[in-house]
Amino acid sequence: MTEPDLSTRVGPLELPNPVLTASGTFGYGLEFSHLGSLAKLGGIVTKGLSLEPRKGNPGPRICETRGGMLNSIGLQNIGIEAFLVDVLPGLRQYPARVVLNLFGTSIDEYRQLARRAEPIPEVAGVELNVSCPNVDRGGIEFGHDPEILAKLVAAVRQETTKPLIVKLSPNVAAPHELGEAAREGGADILSCINTVVGMAIDAGTRRPLLHTVRGGLSGPAIKPIALRIVFDVARKVGLPVIGIGGIETASDVIEFLLAGASAVQIGTALFRDPATPERILDGLRSYLRESGIAKVSELVGAVELPSDT
Amino acid sequence: MRDLRATVSSVEPHPLPYFTLHLEIAEDFLPVVPGQFVMVEVGERLEPYLRRPFSVHDLRVAGSRVEIDLLGKVIGRGTHLLSTASPGSILRVLGPLGRGFEVQPHDRVALVAGGVGSAALLLLGRQLADRRIPFDFYYGGRSSIDLPCRSDFEEAATASGGSCIVTTEDGSEGREGLVTGPLGEALEQGAYGFLYACGPMGLLAALAGLARDHGVAGEAALETPMGCGYGACLGCAVPHVDGRFALCCKDGPVFRFDEVRW
Repeated sequence: MTEPDLSTRVGPLELPNPVLTASGTFGYGLEFSHLGSLAKLGGIVTKGLSLEPRKGNPGPRICETRGGMLNSIGLQNIGIEAFLVDVLPGLRQYPARVVLNLFGTSIDEYRQLARRAEPIPEVAGVELNVSCPNVDRGGIEFGHDPEILAKLVAAVRQETTKPLIVKLSPNVAAPHELGEAAREGGADILSCINTVVGMAIDAGTRRPLLHTVRGGLSGPAIKPIALRIVFDVARKVGLPVIGIGGIETASDVIEFLLAGASAVQIGTALFRDPATPERILDGLRSYLRESGIAKVSELVGAVELPSDT
Repeated sequence: MRDLRATVSSVEPHPLPYFTLHLEIAEDFLPVVPGQFVMVEVGERLEPYLRRPFSVHDLRVAGSRVEIDLLGKVIGRGTHLLSTASPGSILRVLGPLGRGFEVQPHDRVALVAGGVGSAALLLLGRQLADRRIPFDFYYGGRSSIDLPCRSDFEEAATASGGSCIVTTEDGSEGREGLVTGPLGEALEQGAYGFLYACGPMGLLAALAGLARDHGVAGEAALETPMGCGYGACLGCAVPHVDGRFALCCKDGPVFRFDEVRW
């Protein structure tokens, strides 16, 4: 049998394969260049970029929990300008498509960010971070109110012809309603999920383990939540979906594809094993070969549900 | 930096809760700079999920055979699993990581360790001895058990032409009190041209203050919680004097005293 076809279309976004790295888990990409993964990825989503550099939150910023971790980085980043000038050229040599994760504290800031990215050919798409749980202003206030989200997405849509991704929060009752708002605003793709708000306490010291008390939970612990939201959003909203949440094996990826995701982002698993994407891609190829599936896209949404659901 | 499969040669027990993990690792691991660290994958998949950072405590190279030692303290499940690892088991080791100590020529220097922070200083001591730079090793612990591998430090210090000064908070070994006591007296005499340190943040902050007061420069290896160890997760923030947060794993773990906002 010929090699299975891993090339992937997520709406207007074309990728060499369906495996991307999630924002905030891959630095700006170059941190991984000597570990080999970079050459094999379908895409990279950058750390959230703002107009000006951001300092981030004081430590402790991370703590480990069973099957995952909490983080409260506070969107420390070098700013979009430094990224485009200092980092992006170094990523040019790799086939991975570069998606800019954008973060603003006002609709106007998001617009300016999108406008800055628009003329850059190496930018394959933009992902709006409207669901970061770890900053005082911005982000989440746009991601929890359908009306504001629709307005924000519509404003950014005017600035960009690039594939426009909106990253949804799991910390709302009905994430698909936010997905519908993003669609109305003109989003091309939805990515879900961002981290789940959580907390950890040290019983010995009686203190929270994070400086900011609350943080975002990621890792295998959140996979079932992510899978459910991907399934709901893909069925109810009608936009292509990128699945994120606790993915660390080829089997995890297949589950997300079956639930309705067209591609996936790998996050926390990279911290444990920077070679996770390669391992997943090898596993995915073997699975497709052994199952006689020619194109990975055949799996998208192919979950077989009981007839009475 | 490489992600290598290392084989556990043995686990050397010290008075609880300390242990030394002896690992055989591929030659590709070299070179390593004193103060650099590794991220070690710990046995099971979900708990602990993340790797654990360890200083490269010691190193033996015989031909293509490389053995590294990691000095640890059992704190949680991860370190417990490592302290009970069976000889022959395989652990993945990412490293060497970060910025290490910079060895500069001085007439005499001081190495200062608080407890298991000593793990970052043995390789440095050996290198100083090789370069004929005499050093005194100040080893502080809560009590006599909190001075793991003390004899190794004594030997290295003696080999360099220096000595080992021990303090314990409970007075069970050496002089009672903190290392800053005898170190402060020696600095008063102008004994050292440079300080190297590793230990809890409180101790390092005190040392940085002491060094500044005596006009002596120094470097410290910092310990913070770490997610990845190579600059991707931004979890290990260290307040830098320039106002930003530096990353312990990438900008450090070794910082000059005057780089950190203590």
